[in-house]
Amino acid sequence: MIQLFHVTKYYEGCLALSDISLRIEKGECVLLTGPSGAGKTTLLKLIFGSEHPDDGQILVQNRNIARLRRADVPYHRRTMGFVLQDFKLLPHRTVFENVALPLIIRGLSSFEARRKVIEALRAVGMEHKQPALASVLSAGEQQRACIARAIVNSPIILLADEPTGNLDPQLTTEIAELFKAINARGTTVMMATHNRQVVEQLNGRVIRLDCGHLLSDQGAYA
Amino acid sequence: MRRLWYFLREAFMSLRTHQASTVIGIITTAFTLTSFGTFLLLYHNMHNLVERVQTNIQIIVYPKDDIKPQMLQSLKTVIQADSAIDSFTLISKKQALKDFKHQFPDETYLLDGLGENPFPASFVLNISDHIPSTDDISNLVNRLQHNPHVERVRYNREWIERLTLVITYMEIGALIIGGVLALASITIIANTVQLAFHTRQGEIEILRLIGGTNLFISIPYLIEGAVIGGLGGGLALGFLRGGFEFFKYKTHMLSVIGGFSSMLEFFPFPLSLLLITGGILLGCLGTFISMYGWMRFRL
Repeated sequence: MIQLFHVTKYYEGCLALSDISLRIEKGECVLLTGPSGAGKTTLLKLIFGSEHPDDGQILVQNRNIARLRRADVPYHRRTMGFVLQDFKLLPHRTVFENVALPLIIRGLSSFEARRKVIEALRAVGMEHKQPALASVLSAGEQQRACIARAIVNSPIILLADEPTGNLDPQLTTEIAELFKAINARGTTVMMATHNRQVVEQLNGRVIRLDCGHLLSDQGAYA
Repeated sequence: MRRLWYFLREAFMSLRTHQASTVIGIITTAFTLTSFGTFLLLYHNMHNLVERVQTNIQIIVYPKDDIKPQMLQSLKTVIQADSAIDSFTLISKKQALKDFKHQFPDETYLLDGLGENPFPASFVLNISDHIPSTDDISNLVNRLQHNPHVERVRYNREWIERLTLVITYMEIGALIIGGVLALASITIIANTVQLAFHTRQGEIEILRLIGGTNLFISIPYLIEGAVIGGLGGGLALGFLRGGFEFFKYKTHMLSVIGGFSSMLEFFPFPLSLLLITGGILLGCLGTFISMYGWMRFRL
């Protein structure tokens, strides 16, 4: 599903990732842990195609991301979902409109889009919040809406960068449960997190990074 | 359909949100296009005038003032026989005086001190359509000038050619002025759209995050630029029409150029449409330039 071969990345001369090789299979739940600046976000960005590696190769569903043309990047992103710590919802749009955006981009019919949006909102327990503006939602609801937007396209891979970073323990548990449920449906989940509670709750493969180096890979295939 | 609705809604929401910059964009585009349109209107009317005169080349032959009737008859026969002349009219001295009094009723006092009728008789010759070249006209004029009964020959070919030259210079001028004004308009629209672009940077990042292509992200902004340009073009057309009617009304009241003002005409419908289309294109181009720089290096 995802393969990294000797991937190295620098930011203006500073090492962000050093010689990382990984293999992630379909349906796995991978948790990237480590202190701030360890390279977790960089690794996710490389897989997502918003950064290019300085060295090495990245294969996502047998497609070499390192060689992806700029024009193909959006199409690559449509095959996956991305959840961020700061939610990134359009504040003046309703929950329905926010979740429907990826479908509008794909050009789905109104009927099909409505069906999928309702399905995604139901999966995160937000069906009743469809007409609410994103700006009036609580932090937990915003993150749920964000997850709904990430899964509305039925992605094969779901990437998450500190999705519980802004949430209290109660909400963290709820959001972690959502990710667990999504993973249980066969979606590959790759999450960067500091949170020990989330790591224990998801009980997935744990990859530890520090200063751009891979320290440990518990449950690695290769 | 859903996409189209999304693009239109996004564009009009942005126009409404950034009302001040939208209005500034429309007004500046309108002024730019009005300046260019004024020049274009002048060119259009000059061009029309030349075309009208070119299809109606006239040569005026003034016989000697003391010409005897049989000599006048003989001159008439010579003119009649010339194959280059399509038709002619003989205007007698009496008729010339009558025409002057009819055309310039307020200026008849000018004749008071001149005693007898100062106007000469004349032959007004219309040239055959198959004699269009300058050389042919010059030969005819030469032939007439060498006629012993002819005092003077006047023809409008020379000033038509000068006018044509002026038109050519105006065409070059229109290109240069149009280019400069278009550039100014593009810059203004580009800045207006860029402002909208910067205030919605977060939204654009979200669209990128969920797989929006540059084209998908750009379309609402292109619509926004087109609307600003189109409305600017429409407003410019309104300014031009108003200014034109006012100018026509004012010049019509002046008897000296009253005849000229009746020949003036506004842009025909396709050209008016072209001005609005030009505004739309300028708007799109401004948006494209603004976005191209912004998007080029972003993944």
